Amino acid sequence: MIRAVGRLTLWALRGLGANALVLARTLFYLPRLDGGELRRALVLFGFRSLPLTLGAAALIGATVVLQIGVYATRLYAGWAAGFSLLWEFGPLLLGLVMGARIGARNAAELALLNVNGQLEGLRGISLDPFRILVAPRVVASLLSVLGLASVTFLVAIIWQAVAAYLTLGLPVRIFFGAFADLLFWGDLAAGIIKSAAYGLAIAVVSTTAGLKAAGGAAGVGRAAAAAVVSGCAAIFFLDLALTPWLAKVLVR
Amino acid sequence: MQLSTHALTLRFGPTTALSALTTNFPEGSRTVVWGPAGGGKTSLLKCLAGLLRPTEGEVRWDDVSTSGLSAEARRAAQVDFGMVFQTDALFDSLTVLDNVLLPLRNRRVPEAEASARAHEALRRVGLSHALDRRPEHLSGGMKKRCGVARAIVARPHVLLADDPFSGLDPQTERSIAELLLEVSEGRTLVVALPDPVDALPVTRTVRLVDGAEARG
Amino acid sequence: MTGGPLRVLGAQTMLFARTVRAAARHGVRRREVLRHMAELGTSSALLIAVGLFFFGVVLVTIAWAQARKYFGNIAVLGPPYFQLILREFSPIMAAVLAASRQGASTAAALGAMSVNEQLEALELSAADPLAELVAPRLIASVLVLPLLTVLGVVAATSSAALTITFAFQNNGAAFLDPSLVTTGDVLSALVKTLLCGAFIPIAASLRGLQAQGGAGAVGEAVTVGVVEACMGCLLIDFLVAAAFFILSAQQ
Repeated sequence: MIRAVGRLTLWALRGLGANALVLARTLFYLPRLDGGELRRALVLFGFRSLPLTLGAAALIGATVVLQIGVYATRLYAGWAAGFSLLWEFGPLLLGLVMGARIGARNAAELALLNVNGQLEGLRGISLDPFRILVAPRVVASLLSVLGLASVTFLVAIIWQAVAAYLTLGLPVRIFFGAFADLLFWGDLAAGIIKSAAYGLAIAVVSTTAGLKAAGGAAGVGRAAAAAVVSGCAAIFFLDLALTPWLAKVLVR
Repeated sequence: MQLSTHALTLRFGPTTALSALTTNFPEGSRTVVWGPAGGGKTSLLKCLAGLLRPTEGEVRWDDVSTSGLSAEARRAAQVDFGMVFQTDALFDSLTVLDNVLLPLRNRRVPEAEASARAHEALRRVGLSHALDRRPEHLSGGMKKRCGVARAIVARPHVLLADDPFSGLDPQTERSIAELLLEVSEGRTLVVALPDPVDALPVTRTVRLVDGAEARG
Repeated sequence: MTGGPLRVLGAQTMLFARTVRAAARHGVRRREVLRHMAELGTSSALLIAVGLFFFGVVLVTIAWAQARKYFGNIAVLGPPYFQLILREFSPIMAAVLAASRQGASTAAALGAMSVNEQLEALELSAADPLAELVAPRLIASVLVLPLLTVLGVVAATSSAALTITFAFQNNGAAFLDPSLVTTGDVLSALVKTLLCGAFIPIAASLRGLQAQGGAGAVGEAVTVGVVEACMGCLLIDFLVAAAFFILSAQQ
């Protein structure tokens, strides 16, 4: 029992340590970022994920509106519920979907280079893979999730207007007129800080998984799968850690 | 069993693996299919075994066109085929013996008979000492031998081998070649290779380039 | 996500039909189903329980801030919270998490088998890869996802009750009050989890089975498989919610 706990602790520490190392080395190379790789990664993670993100945002928004619509006749509290749902449930679910896409792709690409020995090859010609492969991807992932999240906030606001119309019978025009009352800069800032944290976590966790990969095709698959799962776990954890703090600091 | 292809064409999306290939492999013949990588050797072997469906044209087993067969009929007829895969395609979760038993168990051969036949096949390929080992702990040559044992254990009429010498040293290559000749006695043998080798004397060679037979 | 969602769903529907047919013809080994159920249970249960526990805490923290602003009494949110968790959040969160966890490992495993020619080796060994590999995963997932959803409900409601009681010193028990839950809610949740439970392994297997080439193809299969599994669950969730919304509006 004690040994099992010890082993689990060791495993957790080693995992955290590996992630911290990736983060630290990324920060180290931040001033000398490879521009070409950064652009490539931004297109791969950000631009190409746009249709997926919009689709997911539309679906999540529509579902939430439907769910709140049920309370329209029953409960005034529906509005408050709807508010928290759009600002919590939506970003979280989107983080999970984007984490799956960006995390799996990043881990798979790095794992492929790793099992093919190409990372070793880079070291052989004294290029640090962190400078040209890892650091640009971490930055790109952070920026991508940030950008995509901003787009989804826009979608969320539109859905909120629809929800207001359905639940409170508030015409859409009046909703946007009363926009300042309903949306606070603090809420927006909280959402953006959270999504940036998700983006960073997804990149770091998936990079760690990709760099650990070994053992051919099966190894690449395992690395991609591990990246998705630890990405999910990291997002939930960050959500719990950041929300109460942000609520205190930013939301009046 | 005589195998023949008629204007066989196979495409994967935009790439053409085989283009209008017509050739035949008479019963009991030994053929080496050779040519550059990407020439369509693996595709041809898999089409012959019914593992890949032709995009156009057809493969005939004796006089039966495989295109008209139902999934069940095709599976039943595939009992006549044994294939040694380029990647060996052994299951790491199973022991050597269980890997070889797999085709028999799936065909519901009685356990005692299946076991006897699997041991016999493993003895013929010289792996009697490694029954309980896992494929991941075997050398390249031993994996290939295990793959041969699995291919012949159901007593197929046709033995197909896809690049069986890749990654093997010359001595092991020779011993696998001898093994293939020995176990294919009385069967149709088709071997895909990058180049014909002296160790494997055959009656006929077919050179495949860009999915078609190249003459001369 | 090329070719539009309809064509994608078409491929998955076809694979589902072929898997059911293959399973009917060849039978499915009960031991394999149990093995996959155990694997699913142990690997996804922790993720879903912890994830939804955290989710509950965060949700009531935000709701608390809102409630103070508008009407003061948080306890009034309890029963609708329970209903929403049961009808909507637990099914969709459990489905998306299972899609990530189980979808990724299924696409990875089948993708690796595909590029290693093991699927073809199985076929020549008189086994049907669909009956052998896909069907047990399908059955296990359909059976286990409803249980995982129940686990999610327990985690999310109990965490909300604990947070309200201990962090905000208020009536947390209201968040365990199922008085608003109707048969329709339970039915809607059940339909969602059953459909998602069937969709996830099919979507992931589809991309795994299609993997061709080298290790890169396996990585691609995992990425596409997981994303499609997640998106499919979101779509199923919306469609079922819409269907029940229309049904309840007509009554």
